[in-house]
Amino acid sequence: MSTTAEPARKAMPSALTFDRHAKCSTTKARASTLHLPHGSVPLPIFMPVATQASLKGLTYDQLRDTGCMLCLNNTYHLGLKPGQAVLDSVGGAHKLQGWDRNLLTDSGGFQMVSLLKLATVTEEGVRFLSPHDGSPMLLTPEHSISLQNSIGSDIIMQLDDVIATTSPDHARIKEAMERSVRWLDRCIEEHKYPEKQNLFCIIQGGLDLELRKQCCEEMVARDTPGIAIGGLSGGEAKEEFCKVFVSLLLWIAFNELTGHRVDTCTGLLPENKPRYVMGVGYPEDIVVAVALGADMFDCVWPTRTARFGDAIVSSGTINLRRKIFEEDFRPIEEGCTCTSCRPVDQGGLGLTRAYMHHITAKETVGAHLLTIHNVHFMLTMMGNIRQAIIEDRYPAYLRKFFSNIYEGDRSKYPEWAVGALRGVGVDLLADS
Amino acid sequence: MAEKPSMTFSLLGSAAPVLAPRRMPTRARTVIERSDNAAVYKTPAAPHESPLKKFSCIPNDMPVILGPRRFPAIVCPPPNTSTSIALSTSIGFHQLPAKQYVNAVHKLRPDIAIGMADMVLGSPPGNKRREKMVDRTHAFTRDALEQLYGDALTRNAKSKTAFFAPVLPLDNAQQSLYLEDLESEFRWDISGLALYEAASLEHIPASLGDLPRLLLSDPSTPHHILREISLGADLLTTPVLGASSDAGIALDFKFPAPVAQDDDKKPQPLGYDMWSVENATAVSSLAEGCVCFACRKHHRAYFHHLLAAKEMTAWALLQIHNYHVFDLFFAGIRESIQNGTFEQDIEAFARFYAPEMPESSGQGPRLRGYQLPAPAAHAPRRAPKVYGRLEEVMVSSSAVTPDTDASGLEEHGFAQKA
Repeated sequence: MSTTAEPARKAMPSALTFDRHAKCSTTKARASTLHLPHGSVPLPIFMPVATQASLKGLTYDQLRDTGCMLCLNNTYHLGLKPGQAVLDSVGGAHKLQGWDRNLLTDSGGFQMVSLLKLATVTEEGVRFLSPHDGSPMLLTPEHSISLQNSIGSDIIMQLDDVIATTSPDHARIKEAMERSVRWLDRCIEEHKYPEKQNLFCIIQGGLDLELRKQCCEEMVARDTPGIAIGGLSGGEAKEEFCKVFVSLLLWIAFNELTGHRVDTCTGLLPENKPRYVMGVGYPEDIVVAVALGADMFDCVWPTRTARFGDAIVSSGTINLRRKIFEEDFRPIEEGCTCTSCRPVDQGGLGLTRAYMHHITAKETVGAHLLTIHNVHFMLTMMGNIRQAIIEDRYPAYLRKFFSNIYEGDRSKYPEWAVGALRGVGVDLLADS
Repeated sequence: MAEKPSMTFSLLGSAAPVLAPRRMPTRARTVIERSDNAAVYKTPAAPHESPLKKFSCIPNDMPVILGPRRFPAIVCPPPNTSTSIALSTSIGFHQLPAKQYVNAVHKLRPDIAIGMADMVLGSPPGNKRREKMVDRTHAFTRDALEQLYGDALTRNAKSKTAFFAPVLPLDNAQQSLYLEDLESEFRWDISGLALYEAASLEHIPASLGDLPRLLLSDPSTPHHILREISLGADLLTTPVLGASSDAGIALDFKFPAPVAQDDDKKPQPLGYDMWSVENATAVSSLAEGCVCFACRKHHRAYFHHLLAAKEMTAWALLQIHNYHVFDLFFAGIRESIQNGTFEQDIEAFARFYAPEMPESSGQGPRLRGYQLPAPAAHAPRRAPKVYGRLEEVMVSSSAVTPDTDASGLEEHGFAQKA
């Protein structure tokens, strides 16, 4: 594989503009605005996942009320239902679901590998057996882009060769990385609407920093409108993965990619493009990744955990099914301005923990109400992070954040977070 | 009180009406399922407020009806006793003592309480059992009225809740002693009647004629609802609304019915099955001219997709639409009665619309155990096994199973045959 861009490459128009407003003077955190075809998105941002063109029981007005400007759909799921013919006929996913703000779709490759046990990856694409009748099928980068063109999402992702980050097979990791670069070229070639849909590349390379660097150089040379870092979350597997491990990796990857020295401008990731860390979405992971220079995140966790009765609050998560909340007549989170928590006299529902305890995991509406709260919480947190960066007090925000979660007990701070933040000039264990 | 006739809604477990329209009287049952000690009793509430509304986060101006059990009731094997009734709750079968229920009415201060009745569910009661039903219900009512409004209570201690006395689904002759007491001794303490079948409407004693009648029945179509109203029902339960949403049916009827252009015209359907594939690419609204939230924001193709994908939003949006249709239906009925054209309008409605609800071709949302009758011993499982299919078939996904074969996938543009 050559290290320079090939001259015959198709030009990459961009359907976005990326305005950088502020950069933290200590960490690499940045505050910016991403202008997309369906509205402007303040960065850093968390993107809720509406897998099958619906956010788990919420109406799109309810999603809009949380302040969401950009949410995800999954190409794999929309390709199966409703399918490309319907998407073409209806006029794309925005029209299908009645959402006039921005959409991002993944390539479908991740679900191929994580959901279909019998998928194998070849140079041509992902080979799998049809889930319905077992016939052998092939999903190529061209199929993925063609589907995403039909979906019409504002940001589309390249098909990449996804393997488990923990794979011990170095040769396979290298192959996957190199193949992802070749597939990126095929995706660029196939992409029909670069002037209205932004194709993001996905940097792969497992845990190997050298491979990650190589991949980064190759992909940055292709000049896609945005850059994603893949393979940092196991998605479904994430919960099984040791959190420490995944997040440590995140730290290493970013430090390497952006250059070790804080004041360097020779980082491999260009400053003028949005950086998307795929599948990362725990609040702790997000605040650290923001400090390392990441702008965009997505994860099903906040919405999925809501369906199990877990509310995200500033002190972590609380499970409202627990008996201690049976007679707790406070709101889910004191001071929260989401529709569920806001008092009735301020136009909210004024729900209490006792009520949520009563209906959670018993009535579907309990899941909806908690989903509203959790999405709102994540987006408010991102807004607070952004404000802290703009006012150049992000290190103080980080200290407060970890102090809230661990009730001020520094001995409980996770090592990976302390280590990662030290790398960007914030010592959580030192007195500020 | 809401205008009459009107419909009442049973919100299982008294869930907050997030997606549903307002003006929804609710019936709470599971909130008191644990004991006299349940959290709902500890809800902080001002003296003029109902702790039940506070607990369930229901706006103060929305009337709330409290009943001893959900409607339609779920059959449960344990029998009622002379002091309690058997319930199927989310935490198992439970005896609700009459005294505890009246206590709940006293403390929770709903706008209306339905008196406890000794109902036999599942199979028709025999002669002996019917006598017992009357005796017990008589005693339940007597004791409840004594406890709520009795002479022993000071004026302030008397309950402000309106009590609807149950009328059993039996012949008048069988419950004559009870009805006589309702007419005389109990008359001034009861504010309404709760009936369990439309037939009871026909023989309510004249002296009870001015009381509002809440009919706890399960009319299967709007035609049945009209008949019940015509027989004199004021407040109605309409489980058919939720059942239609669950079945993926978007209702589409008006009262009075539009004027038919042609007498030979085929009767119009009462609703449309959104599961039907003809909706897969339809960008029209659920019902022509409908201005509900769901119709303003979405088209049929989206409903079809959501149902096929088993997304919860499908049923939430269908509820919004179907409630809207019912709201207008009842408004039309009230107006028609006021205009004195109700009987003609019913006939025109019967001519214009199909006699039955449309059939659903799909499945409803996931049901939880306590929403269904207890299964018999060794009964086959209710839902097919979803997990572990890969091991058996070697092909299929536990996450998404498309309803199409390889050619279909290819046609979808999803992938090609290798």
